[in-house]
Amino acid sequence: MDLQFKPEHEAFRRELAEWLQTHLARPWIEELRDPANDPDRLFEIRRRWQAVLNEAGYLGMDWPREWGGRGATAIEKAIYTEETYRADAPPIPNVLGISLLGPALIHHGSEELRRRFIPKMLSGEEIWCQGFSEPDAGSDLAALRTRAEPDGEDFRITGQKVWTTFGLWADWIFVLARTDASDRYGGITFFLVPIHQKGVEVRGIKQISGESEFGEVFFDGAVARREHIVGKIGEGWRIAMTVLSYERGAMSLAYPAQYDGYLEDLVAGCRERGILGRPDVREKLGRLLVDNEVMRANGLRNLAGFASGEKPGPEASIEKLFWSEYAKRLADTALELLGPQAHLVVRSPHSRPGMDWAYEAQWCRAGTIYAGSSEIQRNILSRRVLKLPEAR
Amino acid sequence: MRFELDEDRALLKASAREWFEKASPLAESRKVMEGPDGLDRGLYAQLGELGYLGLTLPESAGGSGFGAIGLCAVLHEAGRVAFPGPFLDLLLAARALHRVGGAEAERRLADLVAGRSLVVIARSEGVLGCVPSETAARFDRGRVIGTKTFVPFAAAADSLLVTTREGLVLVERPAKGFEATPLPVIDHAQRFAQIPLDLPGTLLADAERSGDALADVDRLAALASSAVALGLVERSLELSVAYLKERKAFGVPIGSFQALQHRAADMLLRVESTRSAVYRAAWAADHDPERALFLGASAKAWCGEAARFVCGETIQIFGGVGYTWEYDPHIYWKRAKTLEQFYGTTRDAIETALEAAGI
Repeated sequence: MDLQFKPEHEAFRRELAEWLQTHLARPWIEELRDPANDPDRLFEIRRRWQAVLNEAGYLGMDWPREWGGRGATAIEKAIYTEETYRADAPPIPNVLGISLLGPALIHHGSEELRRRFIPKMLSGEEIWCQGFSEPDAGSDLAALRTRAEPDGEDFRITGQKVWTTFGLWADWIFVLARTDASDRYGGITFFLVPIHQKGVEVRGIKQISGESEFGEVFFDGAVARREHIVGKIGEGWRIAMTVLSYERGAMSLAYPAQYDGYLEDLVAGCRERGILGRPDVREKLGRLLVDNEVMRANGLRNLAGFASGEKPGPEASIEKLFWSEYAKRLADTALELLGPQAHLVVRSPHSRPGMDWAYEAQWCRAGTIYAGSSEIQRNILSRRVLKLPEAR
Repeated sequence: MRFELDEDRALLKASAREWFEKASPLAESRKVMEGPDGLDRGLYAQLGELGYLGLTLPESAGGSGFGAIGLCAVLHEAGRVAFPGPFLDLLLAARALHRVGGAEAERRLADLVAGRSLVVIARSEGVLGCVPSETAARFDRGRVIGTKTFVPFAAAADSLLVTTREGLVLVERPAKGFEATPLPVIDHAQRFAQIPLDLPGTLLADAERSGDALADVDRLAALASSAVALGLVERSLELSVAYLKERKAFGVPIGSFQALQHRAADMLLRVESTRSAVYRAAWAADHDPERALFLGASAKAWCGEAARFVCGETIQIFGGVGYTWEYDPHIYWKRAKTLEQFYGTTRDAIETALEAAGI
């Protein structure tokens, strides 16, 4: 066993932490708190931050240098996400483009596609959103019905996508569309489609938090060019599923680092309220502290396995299930222990400085639903890992 | 970075598995658990020959030199077969003897490590807590006076390490044995006794030095009992999964029902997280002393909950037969209960973790 980071990793961490200290004007929470920042301004702050990261070479961490990446190891990538989460840097707007589409292009795309799309994706000049889920294809993604029909050299896309993060700000969307109705998996193709055209309409969806970070995208004969297909026709499902695995380990240390900060805020809040000595409070805080540490142990193990070239195991589903369920317990406990003040939304008079628990308590409800709900993760664990028989 | 065991410790673990499965399969050990002493003396002599009783000691003290990681690897295997008897207790007593030091302690330690002598710590007084807030037992003019409770496997013990106000005292077994009143607990494989003491003994160290040694024993107990718990939950999940595949109801294997599949997935999450937490804490005990206390306590606190869930749900998955003596789930569940109460409670572990984190 060896759970020690190598000196070069520690050096990378120090250098990054210093860089963040110099370049991060203020933590994201402060931007959210600033009444001058409406959703569009907040989006621009995120876009600008992405450009700064890109200039410094911190995006596409594990991509080849040839494609604008850093050629870094999985461990460095994990350290990068850990430190940016710890510093509460603005989340970058092209997160889905960089985590999903980028690897898809690098591993399955043509050189022309890489040249055309990667630089502007990294710089934030073009914002990407993801067109996978549909109203009737969520957890059962392969049930998707959005269709792409040949039209001369090109394709026409018709259908509806939903839960499209940053749909309202996006320039492009990567879409899984059906090119063969009779083949559930092999009839799906991976298209890159411009949003700003006739035949595409984006509507925001008001979320439980009141904001419209995600939306729905309607396609009515929208044009998708043949040369903008990633991989071959019919390879969309396989590509979509494999790109998910490239993200392995990227978040392994980031969530525990983020929750370190949340816990620190919660402990400080309990101290201010004079309840930190109460046994029931200590028990609750202690369990959250311990569970976060166990999450970090899982993350280190996952990362170590990845770094030493082991085949992926059940780690990804355990990780997702663990952090997303934990986040709900953490926020529920914070609202309980911090009293009515924690219910005040961030721009309300008297709202707490520091952590925005009122938002987090709502946002964490999404975590167990998106990117494979907790139920889907449990299906994966019971079928693929424990090899239990097909469910009835 | 590497989570897997290195070659030496992987070998140690593999040979431990082989030995425990061969020497103490449940079909055999069930008789031992239900027998008078709760241990097979012959197997304990073999533990000494194998070097397993020196796992908590440095090589210079006759130990194995495999460190905390090696210790956890062997205890992990002992947990898988719910190995009966005072294995854990002997390891803790060995550490206490090593920490207090001195000629008498070292002589006794050598006997213990070689498997020639069973030495256990006698610490509890009364039945309201395992560690008395104030020790009443005294060492006075060469004799120990007081009453100890929850003394593990006292009927078989050759000597006791008794905590007194004056410090740790070594008390030899009188010719007719200790005057031990059994205190049967939920875990029928466990042996506890209440022992009134008015016996000659040897003071091994003063109160301060003894206190330091016991604090070290407590840290070790958190880690070591967590490693046993890892074996318990790992094996319980295996039993559950096998039963889910084999048992049929409504014409199909019960493992095809999603309600049970999801429960099994939640058990798997706990088993794998227990593995991560235990070995990370073991690694820290060997390589990261600053964080070892925090990580050991965290592992212990996690394991208490995880074992309740995994071992408890195993009984539930087995249904009616899960509540029978004949089937194995109760053995694992009961051992988990013993580990959680008598080797540092979950509540205490949580408090230790909080304090170590400066909260």
